[in-house]
Amino acid sequence: MISIKLNPQELGDSGGIQKVCEKIVAEEENVTKQLENLLSRQCHLEAKLRSVTKALPNLQIVKSDAQHLSEMIAHTSNLAENVSAKVRKLDDARSRVSECQQRVHDLLDLQLCSEGVKLALQEEDYEKGAAHVHRFLSMDQTLLRQTADDVQQDCTAVTNSFSLLHKAAELLQTEVTARFDEAVRADDLASVERFFKIFPLLGLQDQGLNKFSVFLCSKLQETAQKNLRAALETRSADKRASVLYADTLTLLFEGIARIIEIHQPLIESYYGPGRLLTVANALQEECDRQSKLILNEFRKHRQLDSALAQVADWLRSANSSSSSANTSGATTSQQSRTDPKNLDLLLGELTIMHARAEMYVRFIRRRVQNDVEVGVSAEVTRGLLMDKLETMLRASGLCHSMQALLGNYLQLEHYFMAESVRKAVALDQLEENLQIQQTSSMVDDVFFIVRKCIRRAISSSSLDGVCAVLNNACSLLEADYCSVLRAQLRHGYMSGYLDLTQAYNALQSSIQQGRLQASDSEKARLTFLAYLNNADVSTEYIATLRLSLGDEMAAALPGMTERDRAKLESCLSGLGGVTASLRALVEYGMSQLSASAIKPRVSPWVDAFLNVSHVLTEEEFSSYEANEPFVRNLVANLESLLSSFKSSLTPTNYDTLVSILATEVTHQMEKVIAKSSFNRLGGLVLDKEVRVLVGYLTNATSWSIRDKFARLTQIATVLNLERASEISDYWSNEPGAIAWRLTPAEVRHFMTLRTDFRSEDIKRIKL
Amino acid sequence: MPKRHFKIQGEPLLYSCYDDVVFIYIQFIMEDYKFLFKVVLVGNAGVGKTCLVRRFTQGLFPPGQGATIGVDFMIKTVEIDGEKVKLQIWDTAGQERFRSITQSYYRSAHALILVYDISCQPTFDCLPDWLREIEEYASNKVLRILVGNKMDREDREIPMHVGEDFAQRHDMYFLETSAKEAENVEKLFMEIAAELMEQARSKELPRYDTNSPTINGRTTSIGDSNCCSKLS
Repeated sequence: MISIKLNPQELGDSGGIQKVCEKIVAEEENVTKQLENLLSRQCHLEAKLRSVTKALPNLQIVKSDAQHLSEMIAHTSNLAENVSAKVRKLDDARSRVSECQQRVHDLLDLQLCSEGVKLALQEEDYEKGAAHVHRFLSMDQTLLRQTADDVQQDCTAVTNSFSLLHKAAELLQTEVTARFDEAVRADDLASVERFFKIFPLLGLQDQGLNKFSVFLCSKLQETAQKNLRAALETRSADKRASVLYADTLTLLFEGIARIIEIHQPLIESYYGPGRLLTVANALQEECDRQSKLILNEFRKHRQLDSALAQVADWLRSANSSSSSANTSGATTSQQSRTDPKNLDLLLGELTIMHARAEMYVRFIRRRVQNDVEVGVSAEVTRGLLMDKLETMLRASGLCHSMQALLGNYLQLEHYFMAESVRKAVALDQLEENLQIQQTSSMVDDVFFIVRKCIRRAISSSSLDGVCAVLNNACSLLEADYCSVLRAQLRHGYMSGYLDLTQAYNALQSSIQQGRLQASDSEKARLTFLAYLNNADVSTEYIATLRLSLGDEMAAALPGMTERDRAKLESCLSGLGGVTASLRALVEYGMSQLSASAIKPRVSPWVDAFLNVSHVLTEEEFSSYEANEPFVRNLVANLESLLSSFKSSLTPTNYDTLVSILATEVTHQMEKVIAKSSFNRLGGLVLDKEVRVLVGYLTNATSWSIRDKFARLTQIATVLNLERASEISDYWSNEPGAIAWRLTPAEVRHFMTLRTDFRSEDIKRIKL
Repeated sequence: MPKRHFKIQGEPLLYSCYDDVVFIYIQFIMEDYKFLFKVVLVGNAGVGKTCLVRRFTQGLFPPGQGATIGVDFMIKTVEIDGEKVKLQIWDTAGQERFRSITQSYYRSAHALILVYDISCQPTFDCLPDWLREIEEYASNKVLRILVGNKMDREDREIPMHVGEDFAQRHDMYFLETSAKEAENVEKLFMEIAAELMEQARSKELPRYDTNSPTINGRTTSIGDSNCCSKLS
């Protein structure tokens, strides 16, 4: 398409004409190209048209074929429908015929049954008789009567058979019941089982189950009483004497498990699945009675109640003393108390009992659940039955006694743990040489006890028990144990000869108490350090304890729900609270140490700085630089201070000490620098000194403490400037520039210490 | 996976004042909440502790459930002044034989809710025993709340003012609730959360306290301010 508009103004001159002409030429070329393009597609299109024309007649054929096919399909479907209707009718007829046959069979059987029953009763063949009655009971009696009516217009024969069979059934019932009871009395297991199997044939499932349960219970009672008698007769020297009652209880549970194990198949095959709950219910009642007897004996012979009474007394006095007396760790010596060791075996037996009961309950629950799942198809009834089981178990005497038992266990365990820890503290021993053993004996002992108690609680398989012991352990560690540590740390680290008044006071009190021994203050110092280490090592122990307990609990208490886990986790996190207390103690101890061993010593060492002039001539500078008297002395002093602690403190405590020392030194250094004046060379010397000092201290610890020196290094940088104006090279707000820890005012102040900086220059600086 | 609650378990800040050292703990940067408080419910069996907790945490009133066994545990996060506060609620069994389990939870509690049933005199008569137990085991700084539950009941035996008087005499907050009608339940827990937060906040501010030389290592230890003002 030609799309050039001719603008008359453009044609005004030859140039314009020329331009338009060029445009037209270009357009022409373009159009020619398009035309060629179109022409080249012509033959392609023609070929396509030809093939389309060829295909046209074929379409007609396809259409007629399709129509044909559709007709065929419609026809077939019609046919199929007809056939299936006939099949349905046939099926109906067939089922009616078979129903009819069934009815006839029933009628025939009825005759057979009534005769057979008579014979069986005569021969005392109860199985056969019951089978006949069972057959009879499975018939629809009204329908039969109707059929007989329809067929013969006379139903007297049938009615006769009915009444006969009903009578026979009644007879069989009383007979079987009597025989069963007799067999039970005679303790004839085979006959018991024989008649047990007959009950369901007579339609007496419930009665049979009840009678059988009563029988099983009586067997259970018998063995349980025998076991208990045997237990009571066992000599105290017996190997299992310490867990005698736990063993007896276990035997009871095992007995029940065995009964269920043996008789469940019998019940299932003759009474059908889904019936175990009834039996379990009856057995549970007997179990409650028997376990109560065992536990009563247990209580009596193990003197559980007197132990509990003692513990209750102890708890009352402990609480009253802790509220009246202050928290100084030394508790007043109590009158005769049970040695916690004596409770060890009892505690063990208690946890075993509880664990066994838990296991038993789990067994019952699993068995009944399986049985219900097989026997009951409706989801709702299944849920109802399981609820019934849970209520039964919850309300059972066994569960109640076990809950009470767990409560008793927890009280005794609380006492055991607290008293054992108290003993461990009382027997605390300190290695004379802290390089061999950095802590005193109580740390290992206390954590051994705590772990032992928590582990014992885990072995009871009770989550609530574990949580309670954990809570008690946290209280004990956080209150009692920490206060023992704190009481020691409160005495402080007596640095003896350095602080004269303190040394004098210590000496005075020693004289007054009549025990003037040279080693006294040394020993106090060692104890202080050991307790500082105790606190630090305790935090490590707690971390390990928490980790290992978490794993052990997961293994010992399978089937914990998400909520159970959260509960346990929350109780475990109580240990975190203990860690926080211990950290605070370390910090407190460190501040004590710093106050008596670091601050008073560091201050004179750093003050020596004031004796050295930092306004130096070239000559003084070179001689000073060669010796570096101040910083070498300081480093040597710090070295000797640190080395006196290095092997006596745990690595963490040592690192903390270095960090505290670093803070103190920089603080003091700032002070003395502020009191001195410098020239260019003096600034140079200071910068070197600071570098040496920082280098030494940062190498002394594994922690990164370089940050602590930021201010000091910056002060050295300010004092080491060539010219006052040079500061602007360092002071900048751009990113990546030095993060200044000094305020502009401080920078100006330190600059005034340079004797060679004029105050006008300093004022002129923009910061 | 159960996560650790705290990234930092409490950073000790040290203030020394002559010989007395006071450590103040600030509970710090936690996962998604700033404060975590433990609330423990105690009281006789059947006064409705579990129902109160269920009503608050799940909005349910499930009647006819069995007695609690041991200790039950629920968590609810609430928002107070735009801050997330996590309440860990420990619902204890009222029956005597669970006492040694439930007692072990007293010490770490920030708040203790003592519940009685307004339609059952014996549950009220037991309150002094419960208080004795609280004295014995709980921290003396614990926030204590007396709750008369089942205020929907027609057969009231304890007039409201009697409960109120008792609470006042023993320095406790007081509230009547109905877990069934959801009356005052939300209020109860929210006010506890708010009060505990208030106390925790006042602890965050550094201050010298020469009267309490003991080192208190507890995280979010709260409540030595006298909290005898009344709820509502």
